[in-house]
Amino acid sequence: MTQQVTLNIDGALIRAAKGTSVLDAALDFGICIPHLCHVSNIEDIGSCRLCIVENIVNGRSKITTSCTLLVQDDMMILSNTDKIRRLRHNIAELLVSEAPNSRAMQDIALRCGVEETRYSFRNNDCILCGRCVRACTGEFGVKPLGFVGRGKDRRVEAPFNLRSKLCNECGRCIDLCPMVMPACDGPMETGKERLCGNCESKLSDTDLTLGYCVGCYFGEGIQCQRSPINV
Amino acid sequence: MTKINTVNDLENLRNKILEDREKFRATLVICGGTGCQASRAGGVIDEIKKELDNHGLNESVCLRTTGCHGFCEQGPLIVIEPDNLFYCHVTPDDVHEIITKTILNNEIVERLLYTDPVSGNLIKTESEIPFYKAQDRQILTQNRQVDPCSIEDYIAIGGYTALGKTLFEMSPESVVQEIMDSELRGRGGGGFPTGLKWAECREAPGDEKYVICNADEGDPGAYMDRCVLEGNPHLVLEGMLIGAWAIGASQGHIYVRNEYPLAVDNIRVAVQQARESGLLGDGILGSKFSFDVEISRGGGAFVCGESTALMASLEGKVGEPKPKDVHTVIDGLWHKPTTLNNVETWANVPAIMKNGSSAFAAKGSKGSKGTKILALTGCIKNTGLVEVEMGTPIKNIVFDIGGGANNEKPVKAVQTGGPSGGCLPVEKFDLPVDFDELYDAGSMIGSGGMVVMDEETCMVDVAKYFLTFLQDESCGKCVPCRIGVSRMLEIVTDITEGRGKLEQINLLEELGDTLSHTALCGLGKTAANPVLSTLRYFREEYEIHIEEKKCPAGVCQELITYAIDPESCTFCGLCKKACPHNAITGEKKQAHEIDLGLCIKCGICRSECKFESIIIN
Repeated sequence: MTQQVTLNIDGALIRAAKGTSVLDAALDFGICIPHLCHVSNIEDIGSCRLCIVENIVNGRSKITTSCTLLVQDDMMILSNTDKIRRLRHNIAELLVSEAPNSRAMQDIALRCGVEETRYSFRNNDCILCGRCVRACTGEFGVKPLGFVGRGKDRRVEAPFNLRSKLCNECGRCIDLCPMVMPACDGPMETGKERLCGNCESKLSDTDLTLGYCVGCYFGEGIQCQRSPINV
Repeated sequence: MTKINTVNDLENLRNKILEDREKFRATLVICGGTGCQASRAGGVIDEIKKELDNHGLNESVCLRTTGCHGFCEQGPLIVIEPDNLFYCHVTPDDVHEIITKTILNNEIVERLLYTDPVSGNLIKTESEIPFYKAQDRQILTQNRQVDPCSIEDYIAIGGYTALGKTLFEMSPESVVQEIMDSELRGRGGGGFPTGLKWAECREAPGDEKYVICNADEGDPGAYMDRCVLEGNPHLVLEGMLIGAWAIGASQGHIYVRNEYPLAVDNIRVAVQQARESGLLGDGILGSKFSFDVEISRGGGAFVCGESTALMASLEGKVGEPKPKDVHTVIDGLWHKPTTLNNVETWANVPAIMKNGSSAFAAKGSKGSKGTKILALTGCIKNTGLVEVEMGTPIKNIVFDIGGGANNEKPVKAVQTGGPSGGCLPVEKFDLPVDFDELYDAGSMIGSGGMVVMDEETCMVDVAKYFLTFLQDESCGKCVPCRIGVSRMLEIVTDITEGRGKLEQINLLEELGDTLSHTALCGLGKTAANPVLSTLRYFREEYEIHIEEKKCPAGVCQELITYAIDPESCTFCGLCKKACPHNAITGEKKQAHEIDLGLCIKCGICRSECKFESIIIN
């Protein structure tokens, strides 16, 4: 039998199997921690930083991503403090202004309390969450997808930017991509860019990180564990 | 090369080397470090060899080409032992005179001596020069004593005796304890207690462990590790051997930048020599300890200086950091317990073992022991490598060792710690070089870069420079670093180009705070420091840029205009000739004018003008 540990997330005592991440344990229990790059059953790299939590060790708070933090006995996790909400808000703001034309990104932003951004919009087609790269298995386990370049030049590409024979056309990369959901009508009209108010109406009761689920459909795109599709 | 099988062999070899060298009546020590090579030391070395041959002095005069002595400003340098006569700015043409006068007739060539810039006196020996006098050179001093490509030189100065002592007189536990007692902290930037790291790694479960030497130094203006590895590779190897024995590792890696060709060559030679002498391999010095080292060359990514990214790179993966929820001392290279220290940290180890932890801990301040090598650069008279006791105030380094500003403009600030550090204003120069004190002041020692800036440096522009560097060098894995830094650069660029708004200063601070809390690796967490520290100490400069649309230092091109001062202008026409855009008009002996529509603000006219008549508005 798998060894079980008990940890404390936001005051709730949660039992989880050893080896699971804090994020998975929280989501299973019903505590919704916003996340983007995390996909169930795929290796976590902690790149989007949305799922940050406070891990209290010896009375000192350490901020880390819950997807890469493995559960331990007597862990003390706070996922929804003022500090975390503020930092998460800032990260979501950075993310959404990179790709405001994505419904998933707009939804994440609104969940994290971003109603307007202080940056100019950049309208990128890829947010570099790396879901596709990690989900891709390819033929013989050799990935035809990977990150190319560094820093601002980082992008996802197939070798030599050609469709690779190693692609077994499973389509999983497309399924997981948060950018393929069609953008809302309206908000990206040139010169009048703004964040979408339509998504917001779905979330009227919860302007900050969700304390409870409103059952919106937008979670589908970001694999919200409590989205009606997934439950 | 003779194999050294026991500690006695080592001692005998040392005595033999020293005996052999008694025949030399003088030693010509010439610096062959990268700095001096750039000042054409290579030609001087060739000329000396030729001259020694011509005079038949090969049997009585020893020529030693060493690594960096530190005083790069004055290179190429020659020190003549045993009197330690110091010649600077030596050219191949001077060699004949040095040999005939100094070596053969004991006369001093006065024009090659160093002139004290304050008193104007000629200084004969190295130890009397203010630049060296104010330092405490524990590690760097050996650079002058050894030829990096000669293991005999290193053995002659007592090299590898610390290893012998460790292997036969101490237990691994007591070595770790000794390092703990010395309170040595990592010299790479983080300042983590080395003893604690070793102890954790020693206790970590696993039959296979690794030690790594991080020589992927990439901070702009810093070259301490480079010079230690170039100048004294055996010292680093000995440190790694001691560390590996204490931890229980049998394999080591040296990760060195490929942009340091001399360091790569020298450490390769050193490893080869150590293998041939039996100091690397199985059963070192007759003990049961086996250890070998592999050299890997880095591909030039700044982020690969971060420990987890470095390990990923060693494993053949893309050099990107991983979250460190489990420390690398438990789960490091190939998921085995791994101790990673930087070059200077390893270089400190042999001396601690030889002289004891108390001798090391006697130097330094409360939380930072020993000495630290700093790369002193920027607007300063004496640039070069300096080694000072921890706790030395910054002002002593800048003014006593560095000799103050190199022109009439007063010193304004010093940037410490590279892109992870910050700028400290001149009012803070009383601060000691100490891990904790500098951290509290919003900067850090980092790896030891120290860039001095004068009144002509715009602090907003400095922040912009580091952000540009970081934007290029960020691996791009995590959102705060990839997007956060590029947004900060966007805002700072707006400010330097006159589009800034006051509320953007608060946004910069908020972004900086977000970065320092949420970025994935240490480099990302500190990426905002150049901005945050300049905001902390030079906020008014940002405000002047935004409110008055002016750059007080006259650096930000969009905010300045050039004009010609009619009173001091002598109408010589130099500026007119130099201007690449023909923006300066005016006949000879008539007032000149700059056409602002054509001027591209390159500043060439200003540097050409001999009467400082080109003014910046």
